[in-house]
Amino acid sequence: MAGKFGNAIRYLLGNDPAERNLTTYPDDTFIVSYPKSGNTWTRFLVASLIHSDEPLTFLKADQVIPSVDSMSRKFFKNMPRPRVIKSHFPFDQTYKRVIYIVRDPKDVAVSQYHYQIKRKVLQDGHPMEEFVPRFVAGETCPYGSWGENVGSWVAARRTNPDFLLLRYEDMIRQTDVELTKIARFLHIDPEPGRIRRAVEQSTADNMRKMEQKEAGKWESTKDTRKDKFFVRSAKAGEGKTALPSACIAQIEGAWGGLMQYLGYDLISGQTPTDARVVESILEPASR
Amino acid sequence: MISQLAYVVRYVTGKDIAGRNFHVHPDDTFLVSYPKSGSTWARFLLASLVSPNETVDFRNIDRLLPSVAAQSRRQLRNMVRPRLIKSHEYFDARYQNVIYVVRDPRDVVRSQYRFFLKRGKIDEGYSMDLYVDRFLKGDLNTYGSWGENVGSWLAAQHGGRKRFLLLRYEDMLSKTADELAKVADFLGLKVSPEHLSRCVEQGSADRMRELEKKDGGTSVVAAGRRDVPFVGAAKAGGWKSGLSPEHVAKIEAAWGPLMKHLGYELASNPAETGPTVVDAIMEQPVR
Repeated sequence: MAGKFGNAIRYLLGNDPAERNLTTYPDDTFIVSYPKSGNTWTRFLVASLIHSDEPLTFLKADQVIPSVDSMSRKFFKNMPRPRVIKSHFPFDQTYKRVIYIVRDPKDVAVSQYHYQIKRKVLQDGHPMEEFVPRFVAGETCPYGSWGENVGSWVAARRTNPDFLLLRYEDMIRQTDVELTKIARFLHIDPEPGRIRRAVEQSTADNMRKMEQKEAGKWESTKDTRKDKFFVRSAKAGEGKTALPSACIAQIEGAWGGLMQYLGYDLISGQTPTDARVVESILEPASR
Repeated sequence: MISQLAYVVRYVTGKDIAGRNFHVHPDDTFLVSYPKSGSTWARFLLASLVSPNETVDFRNIDRLLPSVAAQSRRQLRNMVRPRLIKSHEYFDARYQNVIYVVRDPRDVVRSQYRFFLKRGKIDEGYSMDLYVDRFLKGDLNTYGSWGENVGSWLAAQHGGRKRFLLLRYEDMLSKTADELAKVADFLGLKVSPEHLSRCVEQGSADRMRELEKKDGGTSVVAAGRRDVPFVGAAKAGGWKSGLSPEHVAKIEAAWGPLMKHLGYELASNPAETGPTVVDAIMEQPVR
């Protein structure tokens, strides 16, 4: 009961986290992804684009591109428009303009595993064979499974001009090209110098340096293990070597169809259970 | 502020509408559909299926099979588990057991138009051109567009975590008892053919029309114009004579692949309308 009154007072003051109760506007742009798919990096890139003349920090990125989970409704109400907002939610129809970042789920699994060790959710040496089945079942985070999250967005919005689908792997390979797409989507002048400065500000090295300075204060790192970095490998393809083959087969068996649709090679030889659904629901993209 | 206070009072007393804010249990089953896809009929059928000792009508339907959009958090909390709950929400990762009823969008748009007339949301003679455009955009309700709602559920369902039963309204019309037997299976109920026929009887359009006249002031049939009945034609394929070829083509151009996947034959040939929207957005297509 006391918790309820606490909630009520927070609501009246507008101090409750926005989450699904955020009031959205048609000119909002959301940077959406499944957790551990490069969202923080993308926020850095975009925040540097928006404030191209000032040096960036983790805490500042939180203010420039706040997360629906950590900021209050009041904070969002007071934000100048047009707003850029971070979210991990599966499909939400109130988000009208969306940049969706997708990443190979094999790599996502590895990244999530390490992040949960950093956050002391898992212990060092926790068997990957125990983690991956829970990952596939969507039990390792509150935003649905990877397939649910990605599938719900891609199916609902893939033909919508206000939906920009980007792959983390392409962003790694050709950051400037992908960031130029983002800039255009945000109606920001994609002047090459500006793009280059944003890319340089957001290198993994630079982000690690900032993490070292701010880890104690930043929402995603405070009260976590200091011997592990939040900004970890920042590479593509880690899952291939870091995951036991049975785990790869589980992931590809569950979502192989969706993965292929997104251009991720299947390496396990496992027949995807979702192939038929994906093939017929998702219009084949031009290849 | 007044409305905020009113909400707080409702929240503290648990009388706020459940919506997306109530606690979901793993043994809940949700009857999900896009609005005007036969959900009230399905509610009647399912309510009589699980409550053999009740005679279902508009006065008790909200108790027997409540709706997240009409009932309060407290009402849902006080239900006996396992609960059976109706919802129009697009993909919600918390729903573990989902019976999804889908209907041909060309019929949904006509049914919704009529419903909007009944509820006084549009006036007689409201432009169908305009209505179809808004229907395609999904700005007629808070449940996304038809394609977003259906797509988000279908694409997210694979991966093996959720239990998902897809029913077509059209099949439910042509072989009601068979489809209802699938529901009984899904719910783990053993039912006799006699009970199935009784359920079908309880949900017959004629009976529901009679009940609407009698119970007119209750539940879903209460609001709006009396001269436009809530229970409509209860038929499939009305679009063939009731929707112009232009509107049919527009709907098919937007959702053709998804419609074909669901077995809804296309009348136009959207492929001939030139490059798809997908080609246009994804300048650099996923490989």
